[in-house]
Amino acid sequence: MSITIRNIQKSFGQFKALKNINLEIGAGELVALLGPSGCGKTTLLRIIAGLETPDTGVILFHGENTTHMHVRDRHVGFVFQHYALFRHMTVFENIAFGLRVRPKETRPSDAEIRRKVHDLLNLVQLDWLADRYPAQLSGGQRQRIALARALAVEPKVLLLDEPFGALDAKVRKELRRWLRRLHDELHITSVFVTHDQEEALEVADRVVVLNEGQIEQIGTPDEVYDHPATPFVYQFLGDVNLFHGRVHEGQARIGDVQLELPGSPERRDSAVFYARPHEIDILREPDGQAAIAAQIIDIRALGATVRVELERQDDHGIVEVEMSRDQFNSKDLDRGESVYLQPKRLRVFAERNGEENLGSAA
Amino acid sequence: MSAIAAPSVPARRVNVEPLPVRWLLIGLALLFLVGFLFLPLAVVFGQAFSKGWSVYWAALVEPNALAAIRLTLTAALIAVPLNMVFGLAAAWSIAKFEFPGKSLLITLIDLPFSVSPVVSGLIYVLLFGLHGWLGPWLHEHDIQLIFAVPGIVLATIFVTFPFVARELIPLMQSQGTEEEEAAMVLGASGWQTFWHVTLPNVKWGLLYGVILCNARAMGEFGAVSVVSGHIRGLTNTIPLHVEILYNEYNTAAAFAVASLLAMLALVTLAAKTALEWRLKQQATQSTPLA
Repeated sequence: MSITIRNIQKSFGQFKALKNINLEIGAGELVALLGPSGCGKTTLLRIIAGLETPDTGVILFHGENTTHMHVRDRHVGFVFQHYALFRHMTVFENIAFGLRVRPKETRPSDAEIRRKVHDLLNLVQLDWLADRYPAQLSGGQRQRIALARALAVEPKVLLLDEPFGALDAKVRKELRRWLRRLHDELHITSVFVTHDQEEALEVADRVVVLNEGQIEQIGTPDEVYDHPATPFVYQFLGDVNLFHGRVHEGQARIGDVQLELPGSPERRDSAVFYARPHEIDILREPDGQAAIAAQIIDIRALGATVRVELERQDDHGIVEVEMSRDQFNSKDLDRGESVYLQPKRLRVFAERNGEENLGSAA
Repeated sequence: MSAIAAPSVPARRVNVEPLPVRWLLIGLALLFLVGFLFLPLAVVFGQAFSKGWSVYWAALVEPNALAAIRLTLTAALIAVPLNMVFGLAAAWSIAKFEFPGKSLLITLIDLPFSVSPVVSGLIYVLLFGLHGWLGPWLHEHDIQLIFAVPGIVLATIFVTFPFVARELIPLMQSQGTEEEEAAMVLGASGWQTFWHVTLPNVKWGLLYGVILCNARAMGEFGAVSVVSGHIRGLTNTIPLHVEILYNEYNTAAAFAVASLLAMLALVTLAAKTALEWRLKQQATQSTPLA
């Protein structure tokens, strides 16, 4: 079942939570709504579910307008960040709830409910917990039960609100792989909300990046990561270094340094260049005019990668460079050493309001 | 736990007061309890049985006493269920929904607690009494509220109004609305959601509120006294009956009837303690482990 979102706006008092959202979600797709807190992603998800009503705009499920349909008639599955399991019911009764509340004509028999609940418990690999109460489960188990409960009503759309947000890092990682596999098995149209870019990039077919109630970019994980459409996306999807300079004759000029900038012929007197920490080389010798002099101020080893923090000698800006442990070992760098920075890749964005307020390198 | 040898100085409990201070404080608290709670309770039962079991029993089965017991039970039987329904409705709407005038409603619910019961009784007399606003109209239609059973019931309802709501509002607020939302997404109707999700989650709190409400309904004196008119065998509740007997120097009978209220208090206290224990259990149960 496809979902069409057209011109959705929503305000809470003076606060504009969503500003004219348009989005098309294909049948069987797994889409991530990614953004910082307060960007409107949860509001959008709740509007799709019917838990909130938009001020303007329409929501179509498979071409059918559901904007004014009550949440209980939409046949969506919703998974809450804090699970929202019924605390006084056993795991079994939690999952059976959606079937038991059906009107008599469509309610399955007790035997059928039992079979179905056990199938779902097997699907989430927790069959042995049927008689427990939610309070007796771990966070990861609760979320899997919540998912089983949502799937019990055979929803046409599955909506997940920060499903792994309340879990610790290891369980999170496990569960999101598991969710991806589950989606590959069931092929149910799914939308999940997250503020964790890694989670979005790893799990989703497509990522929708939201900021301040607007969509910044829609694309596959590779597209948004490799070709961010806006400075916000660039910055939100990973650490970034900013260089102020200008564009002249297809070259980036940062201070006295001149760098090739392919595909950007126009001339600009003021520009901001973006480079990710792993896209910068550290050289021992100046490469003509194509490297920025800097001094190493800190070296931190983070598992398989090493992060080097440097201070530029011209304007004393801080630059972060990331490299593999092997690369680091072969370079033999030390704190306090003077070296040269050469960006392998630079991005420059078309001028837009608010571009400058991105802050310093993350 | 650790293998490192610690200096074998006995651990001093730095967060505990010295022994004499502790004993003094505990002693004061006990003295207070004995003086203000246990002693009066003992006096009530002592006086009630001062002239023997037969006098005690006679004071309880005397027709006027029986009428008072019946009236008290009637008033409680009407007031408590009504306030249970009202309290549930008010708590549900306040805890689960946003609407204009919400804080005003919360204030209004507390009104019976902040107003002297005598004043609440007088309000009804001024409203429904013969010389009150609605008095003439009621008289024309031959309806008597004041100095009759309906007035007593009304006053009781008013005074015991806040107990259930007060108990449920914080409980429901702390539980949030996510479970209700989950139920609705799963296709449950409003009634099903209330019956299968909301009510089971607050049932112990509700029972607690009902017990307190009942204790007050049966023990209320001030408001009921104003609207009752003190007609023996007709408009006297147990507390009013006790007062009359006492004023007639019929001490043994007064304390015999009063002992009924004292026993109600003890039962209420026991039930309250049991429920508090249940509520605490429920609270620890619903705290997330991870």
